[in-house]
Amino acid sequence: MSGTDTATSSSAGRIQRRPYVVLDGVSKEFTSARTGVRETVFDDFSLTVHHGELVAVVGASGTGKTTLLHLVAGLERPDSGRITLNDDTLAAGSPTPGAGNSTDMARHRLGVVFQQPRLLDWVSVRRNLELALTSSGLDPAGADRALADVGLAEYAHHYPSVLSGGQRQRAAVARAFAVQPELVLLDEPFSALDQLTARRLRLLLQELWTARPRTGLLVTHNPLEAAFLADRVIVLDGRPARVSAEFTLDLSRPRTPEDPRLFTYQNEILAALG
Amino acid sequence: MARPTTATAGIQPAAHSSSSTGSAPTAPAVSGRVPASRKQPSHRGRFLGRTVLPVAAFFAVLVGGWQLVAVRSDSVLIPDVPTIWSSLADTVTQPLFYSSLGATLLRVGLGFALAFVTAVVIGIVMGRVEFVRRFFEPAVLIGLTVPGLVWALLCVIWFGVSLTNPVVAVALSAAPALTLSIYQGTRAMDSELREMAYVYRFSLATQLRYLWLPSLLPALLSGARLGLSLSWKVIVLVEMFGMSSGVGYELNNQFAAQNVAGVLSWTLLFAVVMAVLEYGVLQGLERRLGRWRKVATV
Repeated sequence: MSGTDTATSSSAGRIQRRPYVVLDGVSKEFTSARTGVRETVFDDFSLTVHHGELVAVVGASGTGKTTLLHLVAGLERPDSGRITLNDDTLAAGSPTPGAGNSTDMARHRLGVVFQQPRLLDWVSVRRNLELALTSSGLDPAGADRALADVGLAEYAHHYPSVLSGGQRQRAAVARAFAVQPELVLLDEPFSALDQLTARRLRLLLQELWTARPRTGLLVTHNPLEAAFLADRVIVLDGRPARVSAEFTLDLSRPRTPEDPRLFTYQNEILAALG
Repeated sequence: MARPTTATAGIQPAAHSSSSTGSAPTAPAVSGRVPASRKQPSHRGRFLGRTVLPVAAFFAVLVGGWQLVAVRSDSVLIPDVPTIWSSLADTVTQPLFYSSLGATLLRVGLGFALAFVTAVVIGIVMGRVEFVRRFFEPAVLIGLTVPGLVWALLCVIWFGVSLTNPVVAVALSAAPALTLSIYQGTRAMDSELREMAYVYRFSLATQLRYLWLPSLLPALLSGARLGLSLSWKVIVLVEMFGMSSGVGYELNNQFAAQNVAGVLSWTLLFAVVMAVLEYGVLQGLERRLGRWRKVATV
């Protein structure tokens, strides 16, 4: 948090050259549930996300985008190689996935938006945020402001099942930002929503990002979404995955979804995807 | 009961797939009640007509049919309805009934509690650890197929008239079904929510309270209902063979005296008590704790 600059419109000024997320020679293989064959998703894969930078990873399904995000979130461990967050090394090679005890990860506050909202259906929307806040050692009172920021103030005391799909995902975005994350991970955050709702949420996300710039990793199969939100777009391809193209988007924020330059980028990304 | 829920029915919450499989045992019951509660002026009358009328008709046919057969056969082995009724009234007014019922319920309660605790521990670990699952799987499958009568006989032989006898017999007959139910609930638990709890650093206590308990609740409650229904079937057997008190023992006395009306009244009264526990208490609890499922429409 302390490292981020004040919000400036140009990405060049906001992004520091200091790396925040570093994947260094990471390898990961797993047994395919469908075929039962061992597949290498990453082999000696490296990637850097700098402080204050929002990097989008684009690729077809099955190229390991989500695995990449899970590795950074600590939900999966690499078979070999090193992953560091802000110079803290996450234990490599340890086979314990997810629920394990990773004290090294616990030092870093993450805000994660998954494809599905992943709210607890049996408590109110506000309680969902409060639980994340208190678990991060923050004042639960922040829940109301975070909900107001995404336009859900009046739904705070409702159960998530009362909300529409778009509202639920808004709540998930609110939760991710409420915990004052050092790193925001977005896993296909709007791909389960209809186009209009997805567009509104992208604008909301940009608004939140402009207000409080953070370091972020966005995984998406939507090149236009990547171009609209990211500072840098990385195209993943093949198995094991490799970076087949990389684009630095020199577009100031706020961006408009109709900006013709976005479509130029979209076409370039699509061409790189093959 | 939950006030706001009765009038709202219409749309079910679009619960995501994995959690809806987790609540599979309760889901049909919930959706089955939906058409009954449309907002109409004659709502209540119609509701009664649909739900109470068939049940009342059943009992009318049962009682009427019984009386007809009893009168036609004119045998002491088929007492007529008034005889059964007076026997029922007799039984209910005896202190013996309450002490017997108390003894039986205590045994069921202890045995069921033992089964429940064991099943929760084994069921959850089975759901999480492959080795443990494979280890206990044969035990659960064998346990499910062994008739309650066998447990009753074995426990009478092993433990005699001590309290251990009925408690162990009840536990052995209820635990396999309960374990299976809790194991399945654990398996159906949403791994996506577990990931969410991990990335947001939920403590173990928070996870247990806000993730595990609500996720497993449908499995716990449906397992409890199933386990209870198995428990009270076996306790009667145990008390018949090996105890000197309790509902089963009294049933055996009536049987020895060839008192059909006595057998029937003890059976009916015990069935009523167990039905109240099963459908009244447990189902009520289930409905209350599952409120969040039904507030979908506003």
